[in-house]
Amino acid sequence: MQVLSGLSVGMFLFLVSVGMSLIFGVTRIVNLAHGSFYMVGAYLMVTMVEILPDRPWSFWVALLVAPLGVALLGGVIEVGLLRLIYRRDPLMQLILTFGLILVIGTLVLIAWGPDNKSVSRPDVLAGSVRVFGQPFPSYYLLVLVLAPLVAVGLWLIFYRTRWGMLIRAATVDREMLGALGVDVAALYTQVFVFGSWLAGLGGALAAPTVAVAMGMDGDVLTTAFVVVVIGGLGSFAGSFVSALLVGLLQSFGILVFPSISIVLLFALMAVVLIVRPWGLFGRAEE
Amino acid sequence: MTAGAPRAIGAILIVLAVAPSVLPPFFLQLLTEIAIVGLFATAFNLLMGFGGMVSFGHAAYFALGAYAAALLVKKAGVPMLLALPVAPLVAAAGALFFGFFIVRLTHTYFAMLSLAFAQIVFTVIFKWKSLTGGDDGLLDVWPPALLKSPRAYYYFTLIVVGLCLLALHAIISSPFGYALRAARESPRRARFIGVDVRRHQLIAFALSGLFSGVAGALFAFYNGSVFPDFAYFPKSFEPLVVALLGGVHSFFGPLAGALGFKILEWLISRQWPVYWPLFLGGIVVLVIVVLPQGFVGLLSGWRWRPRGTM
Repeated sequence: MQVLSGLSVGMFLFLVSVGMSLIFGVTRIVNLAHGSFYMVGAYLMVTMVEILPDRPWSFWVALLVAPLGVALLGGVIEVGLLRLIYRRDPLMQLILTFGLILVIGTLVLIAWGPDNKSVSRPDVLAGSVRVFGQPFPSYYLLVLVLAPLVAVGLWLIFYRTRWGMLIRAATVDREMLGALGVDVAALYTQVFVFGSWLAGLGGALAAPTVAVAMGMDGDVLTTAFVVVVIGGLGSFAGSFVSALLVGLLQSFGILVFPSISIVLLFALMAVVLIVRPWGLFGRAEE
Repeated sequence: MTAGAPRAIGAILIVLAVAPSVLPPFFLQLLTEIAIVGLFATAFNLLMGFGGMVSFGHAAYFALGAYAAALLVKKAGVPMLLALPVAPLVAAAGALFFGFFIVRLTHTYFAMLSLAFAQIVFTVIFKWKSLTGGDDGLLDVWPPALLKSPRAYYYFTLIVVGLCLLALHAIISSPFGYALRAARESPRRARFIGVDVRRHQLIAFALSGLFSGVAGALFAFYNGSVFPDFAYFPKSFEPLVVALLGGVHSFFGPLAGALGFKILEWLISRQWPVYWPLFLGGIVVLVIVVLPQGFVGLLSGWRWRPRGTM
């Protein structure tokens, strides 16, 4: 039971952190605004569900559209801002994305107001199913199915397409890739948009399970960061394994030490950082 | 320090000393806040400007100082004048503990881990309602009657901040300060000449946390209350922006930055309080993208590029 809910938490985390890790792997930018993208995804989901007519298919349309909106936002930010500073001090890039957290957070506050929002689960998944004789909310089953599908999709993209090959090449040596005639700037934009879409998908999927509220950005950023650090920045497999690990740790941690489960997470991260500073699946910096 | 500096400092001190006789109380409060933020940013800049370490989580140490001061006074009944020197020790202890992990990392990882630890401090403060009051914060944290007027607290803050700045200046001018700069310029060469880089960085981190804690404690008594927001990440952004605005390679840069920053904040949040973070983030984004030279000039002494890129 606890394993299942841990796994579904891990799946959300995977969606968010793999986007962050992917963006870092290719562009070398740690996108601190990634949690903000997740939050925008959740809020767009709220709006889409509100404006669409109340039909069985509305939820699924919203789930499709909301992440695309976030992808668009990511594209605008990449082309309008980040593209101008790739050659700059990495610190400047970090500060810029940190600034974006404040900008996006305030814009969300202005657009949607300070009250918490909620999204109701689609009728098909509103109830619960019995797993091992215990009730389990069926909506989480959607997540448990969808996220591994995304993972398989990502794996196919990375290892079976030309685009994925370019992405893997870019994480290893960007100049060489440029020297071989690949349009690296376009690749950066595509990867950033794709990573933003994943964050938006995570947010949209999470919207019916949480209160959509200001401050989600910071919470998610922190946890996604823990996931990415444990797994290794830029590592796809690392994100998957450590997202599951963190998800399980969180849901068991809540049972054992309800108020300090987050401290457990950071303890795990601290241990990983001491033993393998570059993460379980990452490559050493030097 | 240049030859003209002592004279300039003297002039500023005279202006600050007579300010209460000329300015209305509101501006005294603004000046008090500027002094506190200036100390916070100078403490932060010990790491960033002199140590080459960028913390994205200094709000944690500010908040530890503020909450320790408030809790000592409210829950333990300690007098304020005793709480004020003890509270920063709590912040320093926190910085020493977190710093132990943080200084093992460099560059981006360093910044990110410091941010992550600050989020833990925020979460603990937010969730531990019985001790910290959670979202409601702790109210009625006032200094004794003697220091309660804006004028008295203004002078008190100036004295405390002044003493801390003297201490920070002494640290930066000491052999320790020079070793720290050597570690910033080239950790490898610093190790060759026998500097224990990690230890120096950790000590600097703890000292920076200590003085951030002083700023937090001063602010707690100035504000009369403490809130979890003190540990939230926009607060960590504050010393960073202030130091960058003023210049990170000068000891007095963050103080000048604090002056500009607080005046800007006052002008904007007087009109549109909700939009202040938007302006803060927007200004930073614009300055970084539109005025690249403005910042690069300040940061020219840095060696921050990851190997094999660019």
